[in-house]
Amino acid sequence: MSGLIKNLGKMWGYRVAFGQGVLYTIMLSAFTVLFGFILALFLALLRRSKVGVLRGIATAYVEFIRGTPMLVQLFIVFYGIFSRNALGQFLPSTTILGYIDLSRFIPGIIALSLNSGAYLSETIRAGIASIDYGQTEAARSLGMTQSQTMKMIVLPQAIKNILPAIANEFVTIIKESSVCAYIGMYEIMYATQIIQGATFIIIEPLIIASILYFCLTFPTSKVIGYFERRMSRGDKR
Amino acid sequence: MATNDKLIEVKNLKKYYHKGKIKALDGVTVDINRGDVMVVIGPSGSGKSTFLRSLNLLEVPTEGSIIFEGVDITQKKVKNAEGKLVKLDIDKHRQSMGMVFQHFNLFPHKTVLENLTLAPVQVKKIPQEEAEAKAMQLLERVGLADRAGTYPIQLSGGQKQRVAIVRALCMEPDVMLFDEPTSALDPEMVGEVLDVMKELAHEGMTMVVVTHEMGFAREVGNRVLFMADGKLLEEGTPEQIFGNPRHPRLQDFLAKVL
Repeated sequence: MSGLIKNLGKMWGYRVAFGQGVLYTIMLSAFTVLFGFILALFLALLRRSKVGVLRGIATAYVEFIRGTPMLVQLFIVFYGIFSRNALGQFLPSTTILGYIDLSRFIPGIIALSLNSGAYLSETIRAGIASIDYGQTEAARSLGMTQSQTMKMIVLPQAIKNILPAIANEFVTIIKESSVCAYIGMYEIMYATQIIQGATFIIIEPLIIASILYFCLTFPTSKVIGYFERRMSRGDKR
Repeated sequence: MATNDKLIEVKNLKKYYHKGKIKALDGVTVDINRGDVMVVIGPSGSGKSTFLRSLNLLEVPTEGSIIFEGVDITQKKVKNAEGKLVKLDIDKHRQSMGMVFQHFNLFPHKTVLENLTLAPVQVKKIPQEEAEAKAMQLLERVGLADRAGTYPIQLSGGQKQRVAIVRALCMEPDVMLFDEPTSALDPEMVGEVLDVMKELAHEGMTMVVVTHEMGFAREVGNRVLFMADGKLLEEGTPEQIFGNPRHPRLQDFLAKVL
């Protein structure tokens, strides 16, 4: 027991490494949430398209992503699409903040976004389907176009309905982003492995890592809960 | 108030489902004149709602034409002022046709005032202040000015429907379509909605009303259509329809509802 406390105490010496890992994870997740959401919106609208081919492509994409492991997708993106003799040559070799290597960061964001977008698109699709068709009819009867109706009437209500599910997805991204350690992205798990290697202490860095992940995911769901309450103004009598 | 100035000409309108197995509308032909208050009655499943919803193309008819203000809106392309074929802009025509639904369909995420000004501002590009002034003036008239800032869920059914009527009126339509506007209301709220509709009728608004309120049909309508099985079986003044029904289906229907 005293060994555990002593080792945990040693971790304080690596606070900068952990801190860098946390910042990396936050940036990775934030960008993934943003791009994943845009992709999801696009996929959800494609899956409602009148054109069968577009619907088919979107469905196939979503099913494929959901049916394969995140790690495999990450490796395909990083070693395949962004390998040195493919798109990799166009990646900037700059680092930001001194340790975030863009040639890894960008493929990481893309892989995570491609994955998250597929999952979120199903959620958004369900959200759109949950809105009474009378809303669309009312908007169209007033002369609003299909896209105005989607943007101002259907989507705001749909997003509100699916906020809890979106919050879940955000939390999932923060956790899933740990696979990026495999391609050398300096996020929490990577920092943990470095510290394990440097100190030959195995368990204590993992305990710190799990606490750090929890400190990121728990407030995230709380913040979304706050917005959920704010957006439900129209529901209260 | 009724005129002979044709506003909407409906010609041989048909709406089939399941490859013609179900005929919701089976050849309806009727002219709606400016100033008409046309009440459509009939048993449920008679096609009267489908007929009404076809007028602004919420239902796309299988066959037939709807000529609204001189333009056949069932066509994909129409001739413009220079005689060129252009794509028909149904949104443009819908701006001139207000619609009121059985279930109100107010936008729950917007306040009453936002519900009223959204389309005028976004669609007709009227300045916000002007749209708000107009909305407040109309709200005043239906006695709901004090509810402008509330959300629809805070209103009673009758209030919701009055707001829905005002929402349609804010677009300054040439015709108002009512799809069973009182059917989802508690009985004590029917009167307040019918009163607003009566007032509209007296102002000369062209109205097409699908309803089960026979009192309204008799009192406010100048023409009554009776539909059954997707067909227009009888048409006449309220006196003719209620006083001297000829078609056996109409006699049967009236015997049940009156």
